Amino acid sequence: MIIRRISHYISNYENIMPLFAGACAFLILIGILLLPIQYNPVQLYPKTIDRNSSLDPYDRGGPPFTQVEIGAQYPENSPTAGLVTTYLTPFSLFLSQVTLHLGTTIVAHPGGIIDEILYNTRGLDTVVEPTILFIAFAIASYLYRKG
Amino acid sequence: MTNLAGVPYYILEFGDELVYFTPYTITLFLLALTFTIFVLISMPERQVDIAFGGDAYTTKVISVSEMRFRRFMAIACGLASMGAMVTGDIFNFTLFTAMVGITNVGIVAAVKSPHVQNAAYQYGLVALSATVPLFGGAAIYAAATGSLSMIELAKGALPAVPFVAKAFLVLGVIGEGMAPFYAAKAEMFRAPGAPYVIMCSLSSLLIFLRVIEVVMLG
Amino acid sequence: MWGQYSYGILVVLVAGVIAFFALAIETDDLHRFLLLDLVEITALGVIALLGTDLAEALILPGLTVGIAEQLALSQIYCTKERIMQNPVKGLNIEVIAKADAPLIISMFLVVYGLILSGFTGGGVAGLGLVFFFMSRGYREDLNLLEMASGISWALWIFAFFCFMFLPQYWFIALMCAAVGIVLKVTVKMSLVGTMWGNGND
Repeated sequence: MIIRRISHYISNYENIMPLFAGACAFLILIGILLLPIQYNPVQLYPKTIDRNSSLDPYDRGGPPFTQVEIGAQYPENSPTAGLVTTYLTPFSLFLSQVTLHLGTTIVAHPGGIIDEILYNTRGLDTVVEPTILFIAFAIASYLYRKG
Repeated sequence: MTNLAGVPYYILEFGDELVYFTPYTITLFLLALTFTIFVLISMPERQVDIAFGGDAYTTKVISVSEMRFRRFMAIACGLASMGAMVTGDIFNFTLFTAMVGITNVGIVAAVKSPHVQNAAYQYGLVALSATVPLFGGAAIYAAATGSLSMIELAKGALPAVPFVAKAFLVLGVIGEGMAPFYAAKAEMFRAPGAPYVIMCSLSSLLIFLRVIEVVMLG
Repeated sequence: MWGQYSYGILVVLVAGVIAFFALAIETDDLHRFLLLDLVEITALGVIALLGTDLAEALILPGLTVGIAEQLALSQIYCTKERIMQNPVKGLNIEVIAKADAPLIISMFLVVYGLILSGFTGGGVAGLGLVFFFMSRGYREDLNLLEMASGISWALWIFAFFCFMFLPQYWFIALMCAAVGIVLKVTVKMSLVGTMWGNGND
């Protein structure tokens, strides 16, 4: 009887969102109770911050076309990693020379270690990501045109 | 390497992300591949409504554009499942799982019936909120062990993965694949077009089988 | 035992409990959708606590997946609620609709965006197109945008395989990836606010 009632309750699709959200909240509460999580100090792609750089905290790598060291998981699989270093457009270059606050946004200047990770060493992630975007866009435009 | 459900036959290297084929993953991969080929070559079913007590029956019409769109979504879903089966990286696995979720929404959302649309919307909400435990779990994996590679985790040299991270990952997969809500999912299957809607079920089953292997690592 | 990381994650998890609790008791479909946007932020918080360059690289896909699913879901919501006939005015200022200035400004933005390349460039170029479409009240050709989206995707895949199997040509691969992402972001940006109104073309 009880199984039938539960089954009847979750067969109503209006109820699945509260049910799932409740499960998430419950699990996060358990997570809080189990909390101290040991942070492993040995990490991939460690970040160093140079307070004196005008691009701080996004000072990424050295001048273009010189290879810098990258803390990848399998460096032997990406022999060219480290060649894509920060590049600035003339306007960004000008800003970086007159102010200390250029590097406060992730999109302030392209290139550097993020490009290395996104395009090169973890390229498969970024292949899946535009694919998801492409599919979501296909759904939206199909519904828009045929709706 | 005993934890990886068998010795990998072959490891394909994509930079930091290794794709590996063990007896377990290759079985699941072939299953997903076979079904994707079925979807590719099969025609959709046509639902028939029969009025009892008489000879009247009507066949629901499926427009060509709708069929093509849903077949595209089903193939994308098959590709996403294949990727999720063989990937050797935790974050990559979560991304493929998220892709399975959104393609499942797409397969049903193309149907014009208001009832199906409503079900697809509710399912989409769950799939979207499931990305929170998925990505959160993967990030805790990285913070606690310092690696996202399943092969490194299986070697046993890294610190143990916290229970919370594993639980988050499983809950996320449940949300994307709607594992315990098959009864509610049946509502979405009022949508006509058999091979495509079955892809929803098959892909959620496959990602669930894979996540069991993943949480047993490390 | 309680390091900085544990304190940070405590704060994020408490925020997550609050957000999910709100989601659990909310019954209105539109409000649920808006709350989901808040819930997504907790996931980004957990990733950001990783604190390495890897965290930054993981946030971008995480963010994109969330935005993409919201794009699809919002369109499903519109279809479900039959929100179709919403006349859109655009800026509707007579001077703007006639003058050359919007054309020049958007041309400048698009060209500058192409020079910038990458995410930033896509954003700038897309903004230029949005401004142009708004000022002209233009109804766009979705088929064309879909094609551009597909081409950018193919470019990206090509760049990926180039990186993986022909690493000596990394520079070409990088340029392909940058152009791909410019197209991608531009297409998405120019869609913002144009995918409504009297559609059904």
